Amino acid sequence: MKMGCDVVTVSTDTQFVHLAWQNSEEELAEVRYPMAADPTGKVSRQFGVYDENSGLALRGTFIINPDGVLTNSEVNFYNLGRNIDELMRKFKANLYMSRKPAEVCPSKWKDEGDKTLVPSEELVGNVHEALVG
Amino acid sequence: MSETVKLGQKVPEIELATYDPSTAKFGNFRLADQIDRRRWTILFFYPADFTFV
Repeated sequence: MKMGCDVVTVSTDTQFVHLAWQNSEEELAEVRYPMAADPTGKVSRQFGVYDENSGLALRGTFIINPDGVLTNSEVNFYNLGRNIDELMRKFKANLYMSRKPAEVCPSKWKDEGDKTLVPSEELVGNVHEALVG
Repeated sequence: MSETVKLGQKVPEIELATYDPSTAKFGNFRLADQIDRRRWTILFFYPADFTFV
């Protein structure tokens, strides 16, 4: 991602397995991000995604800002893939709001230029007008 | 260390061995480096290599 963001994938496989997988799987031929190894599950546990029964990490995505603060968390069970468009939306929203801290992104916000809200006493009870008006 | 990281909290230091396909080399990921370089980080956990999304 070119917007000042680094993606790092993590599983409990070792870095050797990551190498073997990236080399052998055509779907991963374009991957250019680091693939991290968490075989002890230490980091997976810190993020609450370690499954003690299987020794595997659940499908968790975490956005961390440049100050090292966790701003977003999404965790799915094994059987549901995450939507990349939604991840992009959340990342762009985080990036935008880090530059405009007085604004918040409502549910229909997709990209810069879309309507935001400015929380205030005037907005209370008037969100509809603010979004539609 | 039984607490999990919470939203709005500073994430404790992370250091993980990596394989980087862009250099074809093993390396290390450190959250401290990301903070030094003022970069956003997306950590993307998944169950297992050689399985199916």
